[in-house]
Amino acid sequence: MSKTAIDQRLLLALAEQLKVPLVQIARRAELMQNSRRPKQQLAAIETTADNALRLIDNYLLSTRLAIEGVVLEPVSVASVLHNTAQALSKLADDYHCKLELHLSGRYEPVLAHRAGLEAALLSLGHDMIEAEVQQSKQPVVTLAAHRGKKGIVAGIFGDAEGLTADMFRRARTLYGQSAQPLNTVSAHPATGIFIDDSLLTAFAASLRVAHHHKLIGLAATLLPSQQLVLLT
Amino acid sequence: MNILLIEPDTQLGDIYSIALQQAGHNVNWRRDAQDAIASADDTRPDVVILELQLARHNGVEFLYEFRSYSDWQAIPVILQTSALNLPAGAALLERLGVRAVHYKPQTTLAELVTSVERQTVSV
Repeated sequence: MSKTAIDQRLLLALAEQLKVPLVQIARRAELMQNSRRPKQQLAAIETTADNALRLIDNYLLSTRLAIEGVVLEPVSVASVLHNTAQALSKLADDYHCKLELHLSGRYEPVLAHRAGLEAALLSLGHDMIEAEVQQSKQPVVTLAAHRGKKGIVAGIFGDAEGLTADMFRRARTLYGQSAQPLNTVSAHPATGIFIDDSLLTAFAASLRVAHHHKLIGLAATLLPSQQLVLLT
Repeated sequence: MNILLIEPDTQLGDIYSIALQQAGHNVNWRRDAQDAIASADDTRPDVVILELQLARHNGVEFLYEFRSYSDWQAIPVILQTSALNLPAGAALLERLGVRAVHYKPQTTLAELVTSVERQTVSV
């Protein structure tokens, strides 16, 4: 498939996905007209608008990285996961989802684009929290890293039923064409996940289905920064 | 009226529940089809509001399962969906007891409540 066709599919998927927060905002605004607690509704509108803006920003960043190229830098996976966990804590609280951080051991810095990695993991975290809340009565989402054969595997994990490597591969060929390419995980077009994938692919760390102990999730394999390994 | 609301989105589920409760209805909100089937026995819905695009099982699968129980064959179902192209034809949906289809982005809360009340009047 040509690069243009892939870009168009991502844009289609983005347009489809953006209907969700816009419907949420429109209906919240309608609800506010009769609400006794307008502050609560306003806070929900703010969160929804922020989520939609994050989606657009990630799309813009992934497009910019693809056009301009990526300058890689040594990045600490632990600090990125810590920041992501912190940024996700409010959403997790709002959705009554337990958020855990598993970092087994210390990791050398990896070669990545820091802003791209942070943006992708944050967005992935949002999507995984949504998915867990839909599927589990006691949702738990785990941000984790472990050492893999090809590098350091960092991602977001849960117990999403039906998430398999095959299914994710199929979904990659369906986004923009199917309303629910990842239908065992999300009722929505899951565009955020494909934008994350595109962001991570810009520095050769595309998303894949991975296991972390008994959990399953989506993760990127990041290459250790050789330059800093020599220095440390 | 008892309404079984099947809506996977956390925000929209909350919004629709509040709007329907404000209109004086009892709402049993479920996020997925399996859970909705399991809960229908306890809550005995008068109307079902169904999003077609659910995680795991889709809304059409839910309808087949729901209609396979004799107690639930006459309960009106309102489709409320973001899908522009419905995965099932109009004739099939009618056969499965779908009384109204709403395109979510263009359906206000007031219209949804009116639609629910219209169905309950005709039961």
